[in-house]
Amino acid sequence: MARVKGGVSSRLGRMLEELQEGIEDGLVPAWIFNDPELFELEKEKIFSRSWVYLAHESEIPNPGDYVLRYVLNNPYIVVRGEDGVVRALLDMCRHRGMRVCRAELGNASHFRCPFHGWTYRNDGRLIGVPAEREAFGPGFNKAEWGLCPIPRLEVFDGMIFGNLDPEAPGLEEWLGEIRWYLELVTKRSPAGLEVLGPPQRWVVHTDWKLALETFLSDSYHTLMTHRSLIELGIAPKDAKYAMYGEQIHIPGKGHGSMVVGAPPGAKLPPFWGYPEEMLERARTSYPTREQFETARETRILLVTLFPNFSFHNPIRKPDHKYQGTVPMLTFRVWHPLGPGRIEIFSWALVEKDAPEWFKEKTRHSYLRFFGSSGTFEQDDTEIWSHVAHNAATAQGRELRLNYRMGLELEPDPNWPGPGVAYGLNFTDANMRNFHRRYLEMLLS
Amino acid sequence: MDRVQALLNCLYKEAELLDEGRYREWLTLLAEDVRYRVPVRVTKERGPEGGVSGVMGGMYHLDEDYTSLEMRVARLETGFAWAEDPPSRLRHFVTNVRIGEPRPTPKGEETEVRSNLLIFRSRWDRPDHTFLSAERRDVWRQEEGGWRLAGRTVILDSATLPTHNLAFFF
Ligand code: FES
Ligand SMILES: [Fe+2]
Repeated sequence: MARVKGGVSSRLGRMLEELQEGIEDGLVPAWIFNDPELFELEKEKIFSRSWVYLAHESEIPNPGDYVLRYVLNNPYIVVRGEDGVVRALLDMCRHRGMRVCRAELGNASHFRCPFHGWTYRNDGRLIGVPAEREAFGPGFNKAEWGLCPIPRLEVFDGMIFGNLDPEAPGLEEWLGEIRWYLELVTKRSPAGLEVLGPPQRWVVHTDWKLALETFLSDSYHTLMTHRSLIELGIAPKDAKYAMYGEQIHIPGKGHGSMVVGAPPGAKLPPFWGYPEEMLERARTSYPTREQFETARETRILLVTLFPNFSFHNPIRKPDHKYQGTVPMLTFRVWHPLGPGRIEIFSWALVEKDAPEWFKEKTRHSYLRFFGSSGTFEQDDTEIWSHVAHNAATAQGRELRLNYRMGLELEPDPNWPGPGVAYGLNFTDANMRNFHRRYLEMLLS
Repeated sequence: MDRVQALLNCLYKEAELLDEGRYREWLTLLAEDVRYRVPVRVTKERGPEGGVSGVMGGMYHLDEDYTSLEMRVARLETGFAWAEDPPSRLRHFVTNVRIGEPRPTPKGEETEVRSNLLIFRSRWDRPDHTFLSAERRDVWRQEEGGWRLAGRTVILDSATLPTHNLAFFF
């Protein structure tokens, strides 16, 4: 791995060296979760060069449909043009830089700037300039003054990603082998996924890496953080339920997945408890037989893409009295706002061809357990905010945190999927892998 | 006591129960078929119909029935509900109450009650706090034993919530 080199202050350089030295021993200094200088470097080295999730195609199904989304503080109009093509246009008028999009979502054939009235088609072309001839003369070429598209935009199975770096590798290369795990969700049905409405958005005083870690590798926290749900009989009785699974990471990429089955002796339905008809459809829609067989044994699935996208797909009951189970699926962007401060964008999704009763139940499962009011997630956000606070304290920031879980584990040779898999989900392997990638990007 | 005063008393009593964390008692104010919703609010242009907009029907922060509200209360009682344990200091400020005309329904006489709500929340020993502002559109029903909340829609004044979770009731 590259050693710390120029471009960072000597203070930050020393800090990164410390992170680099500790990571293979599972030692991570607390300051990484709340440091202004590090945050500036993350903006420049990570978020300006990574594929960042913007939207799902089902949010903008028709020509003219748009949503407003962000990469760092850059606002993008993610819009489907009349030609059906999805674009992400920087929401900044080419004349003086005003915002041209006046809403978070909607349908528009044009975006007209409220400052001096320049008007753009929903494909970004400038088509109207008030008093064009008088003001700018006959030589004015509107074709040169369209809205700026995000430097890179790619779609994977309905998931729209953008990248600020024109030189970035393609999305497919970026994803690499995590694709196999993404497809467990995106290809569960031939019809694909749809969002159940716009995202919930809320602010948490924490670090994006800490939030992400919960979805990338920290199955261990469920024991204690979510004990209330175990007491209520919502989570499986065996408090170690999230341990019984594989933890998989993709070396060099930073991505990871957790694939959890049923605790020994527990009676949980296969395939997340999806209706039988959906299981049947999955049999033919999965690209490989291994994916189908893996999906059939899965009760909880999490996938995290470097740097800040996660999804969570657990088996659930819509409430504590409900007989039976209904799974739920949430997509997440851990949107960095500043040191120790994030905004969460959280969507609920479902297979387009799921039965209506199922869509309604899965929506309720989501709302009651995850998202802004979710009874699981409430306790996560409470805890994350205290960790980030401590990480900025004078003595606390110097503490080495323990990322040593599973250091002695050997990879599972029988796991059918790609990546490095461990047969015990209580390990920090995914997070250590994340930090290797994280450092590599910070230092390059 | 006249109907208006009775309903005002309901709102104030409810606020007291919520501020004091007396959730089991609060549940007794709810009708069994209560529908309790907090829709996601988004920034939208002013529509041709005028007024403010951006109330999204498709997604909620809360979409509850009696069973799920009871579940949330039961969770707070487990001793492991860290989001509200230790509890926040909450204060519900209820103002601008507008009480509609009574109307008979198969389930009993119902009245629409609108109110403005400001929730102050302070946690731990921190010097800061969060505010949430909203309008509540309630339906209160006269049942045996008193008035019950049969429906509530909370129209938030925030698109992006300025608080780390909604671990309390509106
Ligand atoms: S800034 Fe948009 S028209 Fe002038
Ligand atoms: Fe959690």
